[in-house]
Order: sequence, then structure tokens, then C-alpha cells
Amino acid sequence: MPSVGTLAFDEFGRPVLILKGQESKKRLFGIEAHKSHILAGKAVANTLKTSLGPRGMDKCMVSPDGDITITNDGATILSMMHVENEIGKLLVQLSKSQDDEIGDGTTGVVVLAGALLEQAEALLDKGIHPIRIADGYELAAKMALEHLDKIAESYPLDLKNLDPLINTAMTTLGSKIINRCQRQMAEIAVNAIMSVADMKRRDVNFELIRVQGKVGGRLEDTLLVKGVVVDKTFSHPQMPKEVRDAKIAILTCPFEPPKPKTKHKLDITTVEDYKKLREYEKEKFSEMIKSIKDAGTNLVICQWGFDDEANHLLLSHQLPAVRWVGGPEIEMIAIATGGRIVPRFQELSADKLGFAGHVYELDFGTTGDHMLCIEQCKKSNTCTIFVRGGNKMVVEEAKRALHDALCVVRNLVRDNRIVYGGGACEIACAVEVAKQANKIATIEQYAIRAFADALESVPLALAENSGFSPIKTVSDVKSQQIAQNNPRLGIDCLNTGTNDMKTQSVIETLIGKRQQISLATQLVRMILKIDDIRLPGETDE
Amino acid sequence: MKPMIVILKEGTDSSQGKSQVLSNISACQAVAEAIRTTLGPRGMDKLIVDKRGKATISNDGATILKLLEVVHPAARTLVDIAKSQDAEVGDGTTSVVLLAAEILKSTRTFIEDGMHPTIVIRAVRKATALVTEKIREISINIKKDDAKEQKLLLEKCAQTTLNSKLIARQREFFAKMVVDAVLMLDDLLPLNMIGIKKVTGGSLEESRLVAGVAFKKTFSYAGFEMQQKKYSNPKIALLNIELELKAERDNAELRLDNVAEYQKIVDAEWTILYDKLEKLHRAGVNVVLSKLPIGDVATQYFADREMFCAGRVQDDDLKRTQKACGGAIVTTVENLDEKSHQIFGTCDLFEEIQIGSERYNFFTGCPRAKTATMILRGGAEQFIDEVERSLHDAIMIVRRAVKNDAIVAGGGAIEMALSRTLREYSRTVAGKEQMIIAAYAKAFEIIPRQLCENAGFDATNILNKLRQKHAENNIWFGVDITREDVSDNYASAVWEPAIVKINAITAASEAACLILSIDETVKVPKSSSEISNAAKAMNMD
Repeated sequence: MPSVGTLAFDEFGRPVLILKGQESKKRLFGIEAHKSHILAGKAVANTLKTSLGPRGMDKCMVSPDGDITITNDGATILSMMHVENEIGKLLVQLSKSQDDEIGDGTTGVVVLAGALLEQAEALLDKGIHPIRIADGYELAAKMALEHLDKIAESYPLDLKNLDPLINTAMTTLGSKIINRCQRQMAEIAVNAIMSVADMKRRDVNFELIRVQGKVGGRLEDTLLVKGVVVDKTFSHPQMPKEVRDAKIAILTCPFEPPKPKTKHKLDITTVEDYKKLREYEKEKFSEMIKSIKDAGTNLVICQWGFDDEANHLLLSHQLPAVRWVGGPEIEMIAIATGGRIVPRFQELSADKLGFAGHVYELDFGTTGDHMLCIEQCKKSNTCTIFVRGGNKMVVEEAKRALHDALCVVRNLVRDNRIVYGGGACEIACAVEVAKQANKIATIEQYAIRAFADALESVPLALAENSGFSPIKTVSDVKSQQIAQNNPRLGIDCLNTGTNDMKTQSVIETLIGKRQQISLATQLVRMILKIDDIRLPGETDE
Repeated sequence: MKPMIVILKEGTDSSQGKSQVLSNISACQAVAEAIRTTLGPRGMDKLIVDKRGKATISNDGATILKLLEVVHPAARTLVDIAKSQDAEVGDGTTSVVLLAAEILKSTRTFIEDGMHPTIVIRAVRKATALVTEKIREISINIKKDDAKEQKLLLEKCAQTTLNSKLIARQREFFAKMVVDAVLMLDDLLPLNMIGIKKVTGGSLEESRLVAGVAFKKTFSYAGFEMQQKKYSNPKIALLNIELELKAERDNAELRLDNVAEYQKIVDAEWTILYDKLEKLHRAGVNVVLSKLPIGDVATQYFADREMFCAGRVQDDDLKRTQKACGGAIVTTVENLDEKSHQIFGTCDLFEEIQIGSERYNFFTGCPRAKTATMILRGGAEQFIDEVERSLHDAIMIVRRAVKNDAIVAGGGAIEMALSRTLREYSRTVAGKEQMIIAAYAKAFEIIPRQLCENAGFDATNILNKLRQKHAENNIWFGVDITREDVSDNYASAVWEPAIVKINAITAASEAACLILSIDETVKVPKSSSEISNAAKAMNMD
């Protein structure tokens, strides 16, 4: 009886209610609970398995309101699947936290966790205590991490020669839909990071890189703008479409006579008063224009709007202007051009203006859409990646892929140690962990061996997705690794003829891999430690 | 026929007499059953989903019982002692409930045999007094003068607590962190001076302790990115003022009859804000923190003058900063000038640092009061939540141990020693109490027994070994979880503060006495109206 322990009987054999709504509550206990967790975990991991690697497939997700997303990014898939099961939710968070921290390897981490759970099931059947399994896993994870550190190689990080970095970015992009222009995208990602990276602090501020997308054109038209791109146009069609050596006034006040914030009412009783008001407004407008002109501005960027009258005045004073620019963009422009954000006209002065060498409108085919590019800024350490693509889904997926690539490059800037991908480092760790397992005297030995098997799930999935016979391929690579003592051998997913990942330059960051292993292990421990689930039943209320 | 006299409302359930006591005991047994398996290093976790679908995974007895929503009146007593143990010492919540239930169980036979509950109660009280005396007698005091020794002791205590938690594998790491944090505080050891911040992502080992205050970057307006993010020896102003351009009075209305005044009012509004900002600037403040929003104008003003600001800072964060850095939270800036030093706080270093996907403001090297902030990392939200609860327990234990340096050995050792003492004592007592005290003595064995059962050991075998060791006066022998045997737990450093045990035993005995003394429950039936239901629920809480 699953609910043993929550029922008590009084002297007449009537059950006594102890918990609120006890009859309707569901409870799973002991080995049943473990089995149900593992089943849920495996189910989630299996969904993602086919998305792994360069031959991985995409998933198409339709949201409740009919929006379609096509992606093979693990974190995105899981977050859109709306997993209901509690254990499933834990896995979703697992991939999310990998995404937050590393940005890449979100699929791999879930596949690994799923494999660990699967192995745990077999061990539970043998009658091993779940906590000892978890202990064994953690011991094994420690061994694997130590081995990873050992086989990791330091990677040349040279500003003049970006090729190695581009190769890494290409590994990440290899599994994505945009691998058609893999090289180009990788270059864009590397260049973007390099232009904002702070090499001294080894830090990259992602807020300085914006990724914008626009449907239309081809993927190949994607470009990196070293500056800012805003989805806005000049406010008046007759304004010049291009400004060179722009001195930019960045305003956060509306182009209209200032109004008090306090609720107010102006009583106009006579015609004279009305005329005065008219005069006043006119005067204000010309004052504003004058202050802008006096500061030496030749481009106005405004967070708020301005009406036709102001627009006309600006045009007649040869002041190109952009209106309704959002807060974050205003900030980007200010940082890029070295200008200051000005909250009211009185404060405008020459030293608060930003400078950009070239500001122009970008046209797109025949759609009549325009975007504003601000380039050659004074402090050009912001950049915008402008993604083009045939349809919305492709553009969105390309954005996600670029995000992954950017993260990988950033991680390399932070820590330039790398390991080889294509399952190479997983196999190497598995071999090492299996070797060490024999030295352990306690029951944990079994768990450690199981961990080694679980590590192989990643190369297995890679091989399977690439259409090879998974077991044969992996065991081939494994025997080669041991024979040649070469931890760089992996699965040759793309059939290039060699399985040395160094020649193929399939590279992953060390911190990414470390993170995958330790996160997955810790989460599996948490799942294994639960032996009792209580769910509220359907309430009648 | 005798007429029936109705005294109570129809439907009132009033069971009474011996059977009532017995049924109450069964109910308590059922509650203890629910958390039985969480005890000890091989204890399991429970996953509880509440009505709103929020899942909690915990190993903490008090947390679990709170979430179970126990309604049985007698069983609620057990929930209450778990809560009080949590509030008083923070740890040992599971053992207190187990102990109470076991005392009830062992006295049950006497009640069934018709012994009067008050005799049982008297004997239990007597035994409790004896036991606390014994703990005081055998507990070992560690010299406080040797700082290094004391720290070692505290770490051992913290490790014992953490051993049963999710982070058992990392216990050395976290024990050190907890002890460092507690030792950073001043003599009063105020708990609220240890802040715990949770950032999902990253692995457990990336958690860190900050000597000072840290909190998440608050919502910011355009211009924030242009502010300097690092100051050494900053002047910190803590405000409770809204720095935003807004109506001074919300429901005031201005009536103007002259256009010329229009501009004056606008200017006046700006002046109010600018006055405040200028006062802050002129006083030489570098970092401005406010509980209320800081608007975009102010943000940009500060950015222009190389000052840092953060609005909408959480109340407790602001208070902690105030305690740490000194200064005062002010509600007006009117009287601020360079001379008002006591109003401003300071610290060695202020910096904004990226952690995972979040940015944090750090204040380190605070001169005034001692504070510590722990930043926890982990794969999933529930995971970090449980880590936080575990650390809370450890912190409480360490605080207790600092104030009260008597320790006893854990792992069932102290319970066995007490059990033996009582058994020996019972033989010297004449009368009914002899049997009760002997039964009470047996109840203590539940702790080592449960430890063995949770680990899957043969409890009877281990307990026999323990009894034999204790009969030979090896008072510190307890269960050795790793080797499935018994060992000297004092030597293997499984230590717990004596106060925890004293508190647990007293609370458990009192709860048992209370339940035994009830001989009638009058339960008024639920009335149909919702209002009275709600009121009752509130009373229960």
C-alpha cells in the first residue's frame, strides 16, 4: 500500500485523519519513487539525445498560441516543452543553468544526467543503497575532472591570429542549422568578442554585444556592425539618409515645451492669453533648436517623440533626427559614441555630444524597411551582429546559435584551456575512471564503473546520430585511444577520414566540460536522494 | 426511557479515556514514520509538491513536517516541537520527533496495561532530568583560548550536521565556509548579518564567501552602464528617497492663469530633484544606494559625475550594508555636506562583479560591523534551496557551539550512553517507575537503530555491539556508517554540541508528556460557512 504510514486507526478501527486532505494526496515511496524519477529523467534525456552533435536533428515546438520555434539548443527545447513532472523540471533547470553559466553544451549535460540515472537504475536493482551510488558518482566525477585537467591543453590566444578561436566557434556552430555558413558566422562571433573583450581583466561584457535579426535576405548577408544598429529611421523623409562625422545629441526629453509632472490646468480666458500661449510654444521650440545648434550638433537622437511641428523645424534647420529610440539603445549609443545622455535642453553643451564617423540608413531589398547604422564611433567597443535569414524561425535559430558561439569564445578568453570534442574527452575520462574503479575497495566501485559507462553515452549518441553503428564505433575509438595513449581521438561524425580531433580542430572549452560533469553529477545525487514524493491530489474545491 | 440530554453541538466528536490516549499515540507514530528515513548520513530526501505546484526537496525534519500540513491535534504537537527545535538550535529536528514518538511507543504498553498516565509522566520527567544532568557531566569542553583549536572543533561540528545533507560530499568545503562566516561576526553572532544569496548555474564548489555585503544588481535605467563600477574607499550614502522627476504631491493640482508661470513650475520641479542630486555630489559621495527608485535623470546625473547608484535596493540588503559600512539610512538630503561623516558609510572596496548570468554589487572590507555573505551556486533552484537550508542548520550549530563549547559524540553514541545510564539507574528504583524508566532508556536506542536502518545495516547486530561496548564504559562508541560497524565517534570527530542534545531530549520528553496527559479531545465539527473555516485555519497556524 503506497500510503502506509499516513494512516492511523483508533480503537474501533476507524482511520484517523492526520494530514490535511489525506485521502486525495498521492504518495510514492521507496524503490517505486526511485524508479519513477529515473523513468522521468530518462524520458527527458531521450528527447534531447537526437539533437546532439553535427548530425543532430532539430525539434519543432509549437507554443499554445501557435508560435513555432525550430531549434536544437537543449536549453531552448526543454524550456519550451513545459515539462510537468518534478524530476523533469529539475533537468530543465539543469540545462538552463549550464546555459546561464557556459552558454553551450546544454544538450550534452542532460544526456549525461539521463545516462547516469539509467545506470543508477541497474545498480538499484542490484540492491545498492542510492546514497552509495551517489557517493560513487561523486568520487568518479572527481576522478574525471582531474583527468580532464590533465589532458586539457592550453590554447594560444593571440589577437593577431584569430584562427584557433574561429575553429572553436566552428565546433559549436557545427551542430546548428546555420552550419552552411559556419566559417562566416564563427568569424563574426570571434570578431565581435574581440572588439569588446577586456584582455587585461579577461572579461567580456555581453551587454556590449547586441544580436539583432531581420527576416529577409540570406544567411550569408549576416554582418557584424562595429557600432550600433537601431531599428529606426530618420524622422522626416526629406532628411539626409547619411551623416558623416556626426556629432550626436542624445536626448531623453521630449521635443516639446516642457510640462510639469504635477497635475495642472491652464486657464485661458481671453484671446490674448491664447496668443501668448502660442508665442510661448513657438519660442520654446526655437530655443530648443538654438541650444542644439549652439552645441554644434548635426544629429539628434531622442528617446521620446516629437510632433510634426518640431519635425518640420528640425528639417528646416538641417538637423537630421531620430525619434522613439528605446532606453537600452540610447545607452548603447551613448557608450559607443562617448556622448552623454542629456535629460533637458538647458544642459546641452558641446562636450556632451557623441561622435560617430558614419551614420546611415540601411535598406532592405524592396520591403521599404530601414535600419539605422551608427558606425566608426569614438569608442568603438560595442558592436551589433545583424542576422538575416529567409524566415523568422531561421533568424531566431541563428541568433541562438550565435549566442552559443559567443559564449564559447568568451569562455576561451576567460580561461584558455581546451579539451577535444567529438566525444574524445568523454571517452578518455571513461577509460581513466574505469581504470581507477578497480582500486576502490568498497561498494562504490560499482557506481564508479557505472559512471564510466554513462560518460560514454555522449560519444554513443554522437555516433548514433551520425548513422554509425554506435557500439562498434565507440569501442573502436576506445581501443585506439588506449593503444595510442592519445586522448584526442573522437567520433568522426562528418566522415572526414580521420578521428583525431586535433586535426579536425573539434575543440571544446575545459570549463564547459567540467561544468557539464559536475552539474550532472550533483543533480543526479539530488534525484537519487529522494525516496518519498507527495503530490496533492485533485482537490474537490 | 430516559430523555437524551444534548450538551454539545450535534456532530461533535468527543472520544475520551484510555482509548483516546492510545489513538493519539498512533497518530504521532504515523507522523514520525513520515520523516523516519531522513535521519543520518544515509538518510533520504523527500519531494513535496504543494497545492500551487511548488516543489520542495528537503531532508530537514521541520521543513518536511511544515509542508505536510498535519491536522491531527495530537500529532501537531510533534510538528511544533520540530519547529521549536529549529528555532532554538536549528538542527536535530528529525531526531527530536523520532525520539518523542519512540518515547510514546515504549510507554504505550503501560497505558494499555492500565497504568495511570500521570505515573508515566512523572517517571519520564524524572528520567529527563537525570539525562540532561548526565549529558552535562560527560560532555567535553574544548578550550576556547586556542583560536585554531576552536576553529577545528567548530568545523567538525558543522561537518557532522552537513553529513546528512545533500552536500555531504562537499561538507569540508562548506563547513569551512560556515565557520569562517560565523567567526567573521561580532560577539553577539547576529544571524541576520550572514546573507545568503542564491545564483543558479555553476557547480557547488563555485560557491563563495564574501567578507562583507553583496547583493544583486538592481533594476537600472539608461545611463547606468556609463557609471564607474569600482571604487576603493568609497563614500556610501544610504537613502530612503525617491530620486526621480515626478509630481511632488500626487493629488495636488496646479491652476495657472499665466503662460509665464508655466516655465517657472517646470523649472521648480527640476530644481527640487537637482538640489537633492547636487547635495549628494557636493558631499563627495561615490556610491548612492536607495530603497526607493532612482530614476533615469538621476542615473545619468550620477554617471556624468562618476558616481554609482542603485535604486530599489532590498530592505534587508540595505540594512546589512548600513551595519557593515556604518552610516545611517537617511530620508532627506537637506543637511548633507562634507562634514556629515557619520551619515556616510565606507568600505575598502566596492565593485560590481558578474556571477553566472547575474551581476552583483560587492562591498568588501567593511570597517564597522562584521558581516558575511555567502553566494551559493548550483544546478537547479530546488537544489540551491536545499543547500541554503542545510547551511542554515550548520550556521545555527556553529553559533551554538561558539557560545557553548561543550560537545558530545554523535552517530548514536551519546544516545547509547544515556540509555545505559538510565537502565542502570532504573534498577535502583522501586515501584512502577522502574519499568517506565527502563522503557524510556530503550527509547533512546531509536536514534542509532534508525541510522542503521537507513543505511541498510543489520540494526540488531550493530546495537548489540554498541551495548557491549558501552557496558565496557566506552561511552563514545557509535555507529560507523562508512564501515558498517561501530567505532569511537569522538575519535573519528563526529561531534555535536551538547546543547543540541539537551534541547532535543527535553523537547521530546515534554511533548510526550503532553500527549500522554490528554484524555479527551472535543472536536467541534466544521460549520458549513467558509469564513469560520478560514478563521480556524488561521488559529491553527
